[in-house]
Amino acid sequence: MKKVLMGNHAASWGVRLSRVKMIAAYPITPQTHIVEELSEMCADGSLDAKFLKVESEHSAMASVIAAETTGVRSFTASSSNGLALMHELLHWAAGARLPIVMVNVNRALAPGWNIWADQSDSLSQRDTGWVQLYVEDNQEVLDSVIQGYRVAEQVNLPVMICYDAFYLSHTYEPVDIPDQEQVDQWLPPFAPEYFLNPENPQAFNGLVMPDNYMEMRFNLHQAHEKAKTVVNDVGSAFGERFGRSYGAIEAVSCEDAELIVITSSSATSPARIVTQQLREKGMKIGLLKVRMFRPFPTEEIREILANAKKAVVIDRNFSWGKSGIFADEIRSVMANQSDAPVIFGYVAGLGGKSITPALIQEIVEEADRNDRPEALSIWKGMKA
Amino acid sequence: MPEEEPIVYDTQSQLPEKVVSEGSMLWNKTGSWRYIKPRYMNKVPPCNQGCPAGNDIENFIQQIGLGDPAAAWRILKEENPFPKVCGRVCYHPCESVCNRDEFDRAIAIHALERFAAEHAPPDERPAKLRPDSSKRVAIVGSGPAGLTAAYHLARMGHSVTVFEAKEKPGGLMRYGIPGYRLPQDVLEAEIDDIRSLGVKMKCKQVVGRDVAWDEMKAFSAVFLSIGVHKNRLLGFASEGARGVRSGLEFLDSVARGDVPALGEKTVIVGGGNAAIDAARCALRLGSEVSIYYHRSRKEMPAFEEEVYEAEREGVAIHFLAQPVDIITEDNRAVGFQFRKALLGEQDPSGRRTPVPIPGTEFDVSADTIITAIGETSDLAWLPPDLQTEQGRIVIDQFGLTNHPGVFAGGDTALTTHNVAYAIGSGKAAACAIDSSLNDKPIENFQDRIIVGGKGAVSVSRYLETGKAHAANDSSGQVVAFSELNLNYFEPQARRKTQKLSIAERMTGFEEVNGGLSDQHARLEADRCFHCGVCTLCDNCYVFCPDVAVTKNSQMPEGYEIVYDYCKGCGICVYECPRSAMIMEDE
Repeated sequence: MKKVLMGNHAASWGVRLSRVKMIAAYPITPQTHIVEELSEMCADGSLDAKFLKVESEHSAMASVIAAETTGVRSFTASSSNGLALMHELLHWAAGARLPIVMVNVNRALAPGWNIWADQSDSLSQRDTGWVQLYVEDNQEVLDSVIQGYRVAEQVNLPVMICYDAFYLSHTYEPVDIPDQEQVDQWLPPFAPEYFLNPENPQAFNGLVMPDNYMEMRFNLHQAHEKAKTVVNDVGSAFGERFGRSYGAIEAVSCEDAELIVITSSSATSPARIVTQQLREKGMKIGLLKVRMFRPFPTEEIREILANAKKAVVIDRNFSWGKSGIFADEIRSVMANQSDAPVIFGYVAGLGGKSITPALIQEIVEEADRNDRPEALSIWKGMKA
Repeated sequence: MPEEEPIVYDTQSQLPEKVVSEGSMLWNKTGSWRYIKPRYMNKVPPCNQGCPAGNDIENFIQQIGLGDPAAAWRILKEENPFPKVCGRVCYHPCESVCNRDEFDRAIAIHALERFAAEHAPPDERPAKLRPDSSKRVAIVGSGPAGLTAAYHLARMGHSVTVFEAKEKPGGLMRYGIPGYRLPQDVLEAEIDDIRSLGVKMKCKQVVGRDVAWDEMKAFSAVFLSIGVHKNRLLGFASEGARGVRSGLEFLDSVARGDVPALGEKTVIVGGGNAAIDAARCALRLGSEVSIYYHRSRKEMPAFEEEVYEAEREGVAIHFLAQPVDIITEDNRAVGFQFRKALLGEQDPSGRRTPVPIPGTEFDVSADTIITAIGETSDLAWLPPDLQTEQGRIVIDQFGLTNHPGVFAGGDTALTTHNVAYAIGSGKAAACAIDSSLNDKPIENFQDRIIVGGKGAVSVSRYLETGKAHAANDSSGQVVAFSELNLNYFEPQARRKTQKLSIAERMTGFEEVNGGLSDQHARLEADRCFHCGVCTLCDNCYVFCPDVAVTKNSQMPEGYEIVYDYCKGCGICVYECPRSAMIMEDE
C-alpha cells in the first residue's frame, strides 16, 4: 500500500507495523507528529499498545526502559533539548542492554531557539552506547524503524533512528507501507532471554564491582562490533523481503572515484544530483552516504576511500573547538592508513539552512581546486 | 549454583550479557553490619492513657474504621459496662490529650464511642469470662463505680449483690444527670447487661439502716460506692425557707418525674455540673434562670461544653458573686443578696480564691433558689475505724481501705467527681478484689494492668483477654505528637453531631445531642493517627531496602524482621506513621 506521508507519520507507521506494545513520550517540535499519530492509532485500536503520557523526556526514556525490562517492545521519540534531557537514561538503556528503538528528529539546540534541522543533538549522544542510523527519506524512515527492532533485538543494543527536521519530518513523500502480515513474518515477536519476571525473580542493573565491570563493558563493545555486521545483514534481508536494501553505508560510483563526497541524512539527496551531473561531465567523483554513525563502519569506509585522492565531508553539525563530527570520525579512522585521501571538512546547513545542489557544487569545486583544505573546518553557505 | 555462596565468574565469557542477578545474595548476611536494630513495640496512645475509665480507645476506633462497630462495642465492653452512657455524658479528657489536636482537631472520640455503643448487636450481651467462683461480693451503692465493679466481678465468676438505697439502680446517672443529656432507657439497657450476668440488685436497701453493716461480713469482699448525696450547705439560717432547694434534691425529683413547681425566676448558686444541670432543667420547666458563681468562668468545675449549652439555651451566668444571704419574706425566699468579689491567691486546688469587695452588696429577686455548691458523702454509719479524710474514704491505688476485704471507689473516695473516674475506680477495685479472692497480691499485676502514667486500669489486660499485640506496650511509653510521621496524614475536618434546636429543647427533656451517621463515623475513625499502635499499614514492609521485613501472620505484629539481613538503617522505624516501632541497641 502506498501513501503520501510526512516523515513523522512514516515513523509512526514503522512503529505500528513493528507491533510495539508500549509508547511513552513527551511532545517536542518537530517530533510531536510521530507520537500524536501513534496515540490516534492506540485510540482507534489499530495499534494494540499502552500509550503513556509522561511529564518529561527523562521520564519517557525511564518508562520505556522499565517496559523493555519487563520484556515488552517499546518506543519513544524526541528531538534536540528533549533528547539532551534523556542523556543520563540513554547511557542506562545501553548499559542495561535494552533493545529500545527511538526516533530522534534532528533539530538544533537552543539558544538561540531554533526548531530546524541540525545533527548536533543526536551526535552529542555519541558515547551513550546507542546504535545510530541517519536516514535520507521518508521511505527509509519507515523501513529503518522496522529494521531497528530486528537489529536491536539481535544485539541487545538500543537503536536511534535520526532524520532531519522539516526536510523529512514535515515533508510529504510517497511511502510504500508493507503489509502487516509480511512484517510479522519478517520481524519476530520480542522474546528476550532476560526480563523482569515474577515467576523467576531476578535483580536487574545492580552493583557490579571492579572485578567484573570492565568485562561487562567489553561485552557492550563487542555487541557494537557485532552490530556492524547485523545492520548490513538485516538491511539485506529487508531488501530480499521488501525490495529495498540498506546497509551501514551506501557507496555510489566510488569504484574509480578520485574525489568522494561524504554525506549523511537528507543532504545526501542533493549530493546525488550534483555528483551524478559532475560525473556526466567527466569528473571522477563518487558519493558515500554514511547511514550508520554508531557503531562506526570503520572497515567499510577505509575500503571505499582507499583509492580516492580526496574525501569531501559535509557536516550539518559541529563539535565546538574542533570540527564537523563526521569529518573528524573519518579522519580518525583513516589515520595510519598508508593510502588515505586528503580529507576536506565542510560545515553547512546548521539550524535548518538549505544545503542546495549549488552549495554542494561550490564545495566540490573548491576541494577539487585545492591540494589541501584551507582549514580543518570550512563553513559554507553563510552571509558574507 | 548454590544460593548460599557468592557466584564467581572465572572468565569474561561466563558473565551474563545483562547486569542481572543469576543467584541470590542470601549468602551475604548483612545483618552483621548492624549495631542498632528496629523492633515492633506498640506504645500507649495518649487517649488510652487519658481515659480515666481505661477504655482501649485506639482499638475500638480501629474497628469502626474497618466497618465493624459491633466489634468496637465489644472492645469497649471489655473495659466499661457503660459506653452508651459515657458516649453521652463523659467530658472526654481523651480528646483533650489527642495528638490530632495539634494537627487539626482532636478525634471526636465521645461521638465514636456513642456510635459503637448504638451499634451493639441487639441480642448480644457481654458474657461471663470465668466459671462461678462461689465467692460472694457485696457492693454498696449502684452508681457508675458500684455497677462497674459489679459487672467485672460478675464476669470474673463471682456472685455479686448490689445494695441500693433508691428505687432503682444507677446512682447519679439516673438521679443526677437529666434526661436531655442521658435518656433513662439508654441507662436502663446498659444496667440490663449487668443484670444479665446474674448480679443481684437489692434496691430500697439502705446499708446501715435496712441492712446492718455486720451483714456485710457474710461476703468475701465489700465495695463501698455510696456516692455523694448530702448537699453542702451555705450555712445561712435562711436556708430552710420555702422556695429554697438543694441541687441534688431538685435533680432527683426531676428524674423521678415528680416535677416540682418552680417560680418565675430561679437563682442557682454554684458553678459545678449540678448547678448547670439544675439550671437547664429549670429552664425546661419554664423558669427564668440565673446562675451566680463566686469565682470566674475559668475556675468553674462544670464541663465547658455544658456551660456553653446552658448559656445558648438562655441561662444567665454571673461571676464573682459571693453569697451573702437569702432574702425572705414570711419564711419564703424572695431574693438573694450577693457581694462582688475579686480573684486573689491560688487555693490548694490551683484555682484563685475569690476575695469579697466590701460595700458591693447587691440583691436579686427570685421565687426559687437552688443551692449547688458541692456534695459530700454520709459516712456516719460506717465503722468508726474506717479511715476517712475530708469526708472521703481513704483508699489505695486499687481501692483498698484500711479494712482488709473492704474496698471503696467513686465519688465517696475520689476528689474528682465524674462518671469516667467512678468507672475507673470500680475497675481498679474489681481487679484488686478478684486478686485478693484468689490470694494473689494485686501488686503482681500492677505493671501489666496500668495503662500509661495516669492511673487508668485495663481489666482485659488483667484477665489477659485483650488482643495480643495490645499487650506489647510493656514500656508504658506514651506517644508524643513529635514522634508521629505526619507525611502520612492530611488535615480532615472533625465530624460534628447534630443538636436539637433551642426551641425544640424547651418543649421537654428530649435528648439534645444526636449521634454520627455511619458514613461520618467511618470518616471520623479514619482521622485517627493510631498513635503507637500497628495497624498493619505495610509501610515497614514496603520501605525496607533489604527486604528484611517479611509478613508473618504468626507474629503478634503481623510482620517479622529478618535480623540476618536487617542492616539497622532505621527506615522502617522512621516511616512508621504512628511510632509503633523503636530502634534499640544490640
